[in-house]
Amino acid sequence: MEQKLRQEAKALLEQDKVDYIIGYEKGSLKFTTTPLITKDKNDVDRLVVNPLIVNNLSVFLTEIRGRIGIVAKGCDSRSIISLIQDNKVSREDVVIIGVPCSGIIDLCKVERLVGEERDELDDVTREGDKVAIVVDGRRREFPIEEVLFDNCLGCKFPTPQEYDVLLGEATSPVSEMTASRARIAELEGMSSQERWNFWKGEFNRCIRCYACRNVCPACFCERCFVEETEPQWVSPIPKWQDNLMFQVTRNIHVAGRCTDCGECERACPMNIPLRSMARKMYETVEELFHYEAGLDKAAPSLLTAYESVEAEDLIR
Amino acid sequence: MEREAEWEPKLLSFCCRWCSYAGADLAGTSRKKYPANIRIIRVPCSGRVDPLFIIKALQLGFDGVLVSGCHPGDCHYQTGNYYARRRIAITKKFLEYMGVESQRIQASWVSASEGGKFAEVVSEMVKELKEVGPNQLFGDGK
Repeated sequence: MEQKLRQEAKALLEQDKVDYIIGYEKGSLKFTTTPLITKDKNDVDRLVVNPLIVNNLSVFLTEIRGRIGIVAKGCDSRSIISLIQDNKVSREDVVIIGVPCSGIIDLCKVERLVGEERDELDDVTREGDKVAIVVDGRRREFPIEEVLFDNCLGCKFPTPQEYDVLLGEATSPVSEMTASRARIAELEGMSSQERWNFWKGEFNRCIRCYACRNVCPACFCERCFVEETEPQWVSPIPKWQDNLMFQVTRNIHVAGRCTDCGECERACPMNIPLRSMARKMYETVEELFHYEAGLDKAAPSLLTAYESVEAEDLIR
Repeated sequence: MEREAEWEPKLLSFCCRWCSYAGADLAGTSRKKYPANIRIIRVPCSGRVDPLFIIKALQLGFDGVLVSGCHPGDCHYQTGNYYARRRIAITKKFLEYMGVESQRIQASWVSASEGGKFAEVVSEMVKELKEVGPNQLFGDGK
């Protein structure tokens, strides 16, 4: 797969079909990968594809001008479709190199599973529906569900929904949704008071670094409402009230664009379970309007369209 | 306990300039009685109401927010209330999940000739808010 990717990327640059290639390369920390953005055809040999390519690269599409060749997994491709729906990206300007994805490995889960820091691990490899972890020369196998990111479990669209080139063959979903939304189910079982207190506690930790916003491909406003000063909706001091209000509003803004890629939660330095908000919004939209983000590039996006009869039971 | 007995809910309402605001006017001119707990902000269309307004109102201590616009099909701008409906629906559902009682955020369709309905909606909502109790979600740290 990696070889094919490199060939494709090189050909795209050589034939001048794109100005940039956006993909993944080996990261500076052990096992990690990091985004690679390049114009140089000699750099494409650094491109990698493995079960650790975590980032949603479509966030760069609204920042870089020019024709772009981009590596996209299932969820990433849907983010790209979302951007096309919102006229933020034109389809002709992107060449999507699709990667069928059967889940991305969460290194934090690996660490917890074997009780070792990632620097102590010798190897982490995926073998079908197993993951092999080597520590101190001792090899241990675990079911893959135990180390995949929550949002990968029960993923309905592991194969890119839009692509020009597909590396490898279409894949089928891993595991079920139950594990993926365990925390949401737990919260749904609580009283509103308990839920509010839970979120209050979580947002007490928020330092409002805006990593969640910056990493989100659906958050593309050039000027975010939090930076407005007249009126000043949100105080710059990270109090929980304002932190919570910011995150709720952000989720409403990305409703119908969010593909549940899980980047917000991964980017959060304070480990706030942001995906438990994003996923819930995703489900709310699906339930109310039978709409799922990033499936049809010709369709209008959720909040710019309507049906003549819908959601009437919520209105007096 | 003494304070609780005195407590009256504060309700903020966004009324569409073309129907609900006129409906509220009609309620007044036809001497319909409805609770004085409501504060009305006139907006050009229910589609003007940003979900942020609703959340901010709760943060500032309002006990409930009512968005009122034209009946579907009657929007002065043809479609404004349809867009509003989607936005309000997700805001309401999502805030419910976060832990805001569902009674605090409501929407209604009130036309310019429905003064009676306006009075009714406000009375009912105020009654519901009294049952839910004061908004202590954000504490006093606005």
